[in-house]
Amino acid sequence: MQPTITPERTDDISHDESAQADRPWLVIVWNDPVNLMSYVTYVLQKLFGYSRDKATQLMLQVHNQGKSVVSSGAREKAELDCYRLHAHGLWATISKSE
Amino acid sequence: MPTIDREANGDLRVALEEYEAELLRRVAGEMKLLLDADIPHSDPVANRLFPAAYADLDEERDYRRMTRDDLHEAKRAALASVSEGLGEAGSVETTLASGEVDAWLTFLTDSRLALGTRLNVDEESMAREVDPDSPDAVAMSVLHWLGFLQESLLEHISQE
Repeated sequence: MQPTITPERTDDISHDESAQADRPWLVIVWNDPVNLMSYVTYVLQKLFGYSRDKATQLMLQVHNQGKSVVSSGAREKAELDCYRLHAHGLWATISKSE
Repeated sequence: MPTIDREANGDLRVALEEYEAELLRRVAGEMKLLLDADIPHSDPVANRLFPAAYADLDEERDYRRMTRDDLHEAKRAALASVSEGLGEAGSVETTLASGEVDAWLTFLTDSRLALGTRLNVDEESMAREVDPDSPDAVAMSVLHWLGFLQESLLEHISQE
């Protein structure tokens, strides 16, 4: 494929570390009926250093909407985060951002 | 009722009556069988304890090859730590440093996931009172009791 270079895009990249050209991988936590809400909040705080407010918000999104993106980044980071979530019993998957 | 106290250094002192300790020993024994059995992936419990990260089959195969043994080992290590704390028989009085608290939380989570998956629970059945006439009544009560213990541990480490 012929690469297309547009000045606008180049400008975007210099401002945005998660540039379009390199879409980040998303780590998604899915709702499950077994894990306690308090436990999910605890795990998100512990693994990602989120404040209790932020972790609670993400947990509620998982609970009410069925899923939530809890972290994103390069593939290696996404896989490590996903692994740590699995090690804590959360139902997590990885997908490419759209 | 399990008694949990937080010590000045953040460790948790956990006291369990004999019947509570026995219940946990039985659950730990079943988890050991489960983790030693290498159950096939088609089994819903295996699928829940070792979930797929990728929808794409090739990517999932690579991910699994990289992580599966470590994940298995992490679950085994948590179980071993809890089993040691429970001892062989009688009531339990043990002090858990933060690493050990994590092992207990992991063990309780894995046990609840395995049990809940076997019972095929959903949000609704989890929220309902346990029906004493149901064939699943005992297992459901165990599931809730393990959750109660986990909640109590969490309350004592989430004070800061």
